[in-house]
Amino acid sequence: MEKLTHNEVVMLLLQLATMLVLARVFAEIARKFKQPAVVGEIMAGILIGPTILGTFFPEGFEFLFRSYPMSNIALAGYSQVAVVLLLFIAGLEVDLKLVFSQGKKALNISFYGLVIPFAFGFTAPFFFAEFFGFSEGDKLLFSLFMGTAMAISALPVIVRTLMDLNLFKSRMGMMIVSAAMVDDIIGWMIFSVILSFMGKEAGGIGIGYTILLTVGFTAFMVTVGKSLINRVLPWINKSLAWPGGIISLSLAACFFAAAFTEFIGLHAIFGAFIIGIAIGDSEHMTERAKEIIHQFVNNIFAPVFFVAIGLKVNFIANFDPLLVLVVILVAYAGKVIGCGFGALQGKLDKYEALAIGFGMNARGAMEIILGLIALENGLITEKLFVALVVMALVTSMTSGPLMRWAMNKRKEGLE
Amino acid sequence: MNRQFSKKMRLVRYSFSEFKLGRQAEMGWDKRLLACSTCLIPEKTRISRTNTLAMYKKLALAIAFSPRMEALIAEARKLISVFEGELVLIHVGTKTPELEAQLDEILSRHCGDLQRIKTIWKEGKPAKTILKTCEEEKVDLLVLGALKKEGLLTYYVGSVARKVIRKATCSVLTLIEPKLETTHFSKVVINGTELDITPRVIARGLKFCQAEKSTQVHILNEIKMYGFQMATAAEGTETEVANTRRKLVQEEINYVQGILDGLEPTDLKINIKVTAGKWAIELVRFCESIESDLLIMGVEQGFSFIDRIFPHDIEDVLIELPCNLLIVK
Repeated sequence: MEKLTHNEVVMLLLQLATMLVLARVFAEIARKFKQPAVVGEIMAGILIGPTILGTFFPEGFEFLFRSYPMSNIALAGYSQVAVVLLLFIAGLEVDLKLVFSQGKKALNISFYGLVIPFAFGFTAPFFFAEFFGFSEGDKLLFSLFMGTAMAISALPVIVRTLMDLNLFKSRMGMMIVSAAMVDDIIGWMIFSVILSFMGKEAGGIGIGYTILLTVGFTAFMVTVGKSLINRVLPWINKSLAWPGGIISLSLAACFFAAAFTEFIGLHAIFGAFIIGIAIGDSEHMTERAKEIIHQFVNNIFAPVFFVAIGLKVNFIANFDPLLVLVVILVAYAGKVIGCGFGALQGKLDKYEALAIGFGMNARGAMEIILGLIALENGLITEKLFVALVVMALVTSMTSGPLMRWAMNKRKEGLE
Repeated sequence: MNRQFSKKMRLVRYSFSEFKLGRQAEMGWDKRLLACSTCLIPEKTRISRTNTLAMYKKLALAIAFSPRMEALIAEARKLISVFEGELVLIHVGTKTPELEAQLDEILSRHCGDLQRIKTIWKEGKPAKTILKTCEEEKVDLLVLGALKKEGLLTYYVGSVARKVIRKATCSVLTLIEPKLETTHFSKVVINGTELDITPRVIARGLKFCQAEKSTQVHILNEIKMYGFQMATAAEGTETEVANTRRKLVQEEINYVQGILDGLEPTDLKINIKVTAGKWAIELVRFCESIESDLLIMGVEQGFSFIDRIFPHDIEDVLIELPCNLLIVK
């Protein structure tokens, strides 16, 4: 078995340590400004990546991230595991029972909150493809991706905002959460279909077949898969070490599912996401175990992954102000109009609708993951990727304050 | 918060118990409990007797001439004496002289002194017929017997009863093990999960407990998406996280307390418990762990095709009854 040399091991550990320390420092700064940790982690990446360290201290950057290619490959493996785990916990967060108990109003919000941003995201690049940096390949695929990128949302940011505003338990809070869950499930399903077409010869795999695989896998996992999980989990909880048993075996299940979907031609993250839903929805998956898995991924894997984002591209050289502005505008317009319209349809008042739109607007980590995969598959340019990351950060950072503003306005109106 | 509310709050004792780390934390139900508060409202103003008793004036019992029919009739008879109501017996099937004689004999043994008693024989689809009869007769409480898994000590609600529970306009009491010497509901668990129907379930449930003179009443509420909320809160310092945890628990206690404050004070000893996880499963586990006699809960309306694929939480209770079950409508 091949192994890393002495120096490569030292370098890998040095990279991980640097990334974790800086991620922590910047996450703490972000926290001081009441911003999600992911904002700080991306900043840390920009600082030690080609953007700042690479520009001002090229030797330092070369030494840390360019001197031992094998260490970089190992680091890439770590990031790959991290992204699978991130999608796994995103799946764990989905509570299908909550979704179905919310009824029509929430469905309205999630429907319009998905369709309208998708339409906005699809139309703009379809007609102005060159502006969005599209050069060659399938324009339809590219536009579909942009549609999905606009439709996805970041549940952790949304939940955090709702908790800060004391709205999580309110009817509106539950509606936003369940609508975001539905949008995420459908968003990732669409993305999974798009991904399986990327980098493949046209006609190699039929679209019908891919959709069938995606929907079939999802349906299988949330029905048969879930009932299997429901049988195994009580045994794991009772007979094996706690929380060791449940954590290692649920992560094993996550990797199996990820491997399986990658094998059948869907992306690994899709399998991780769906099995996350199936495991998280089981009543035998205790809240305590979920909390531990969340902590484990959020603090050990996620920081390295998000710092690594900053290592991949030069954020200043690829910063196209006009493109960034347009992407942000399309993102805001799509979600706020879509969700707001859905909320108005559900007989909520004007400011509530606005608050829901702002709440659902947060893209956060999920957008960045989506963008990175598209970048790695050559679907989007570095410029567009930077624009998407900036959009993800801006929407996440403004979500809380804007929602607070809308709710205050509403209160003023009621008084 | 109005003044009256905060005054009452001071009379309530709270105790918090954090999750214990380690495998045991997931084993016994009591360790899953996040918090428990005992509610002792000292004013022992007795609720007017007629008020409580008027709750279920007309009781119906669905009978099927099973070996347990006599016990069910005895139980119904006891409830009649508690609520001072009248009894309607419903049998879906053909009326034959033998069955009639059999029923008369049992009735004379248990309900000889009962003036207002009516037996209805009807043919048709069981669930539909029972539902229709209950509506025609303006029944307040329908009593059913649960089914028992062969060779096992577990009980469940059959498909007919399930349909009745979902669609009935009256309350439904399902008895897992009716006895000739009748059951006393002394340990009662009420579902305090935040649902539209919960204030009503608690109000009606407490009245039922008063009539039954229950000794222990537990109201169970759960924190939604506890793990996710705590993971999100973990971006804060240790103190902030602890505060969030406390706040989450307190919010759920306050919800139940708020409902209790709006009700007439009783002399019942009420415990408010807070859990995390899927509420139906937690309810079942809690009932099992304290060996409760009765679980009181409501049922949400609307069962569509989607609900069959992704069943409502109540299905988790119906599929394996931990104890007798009162569905409040």
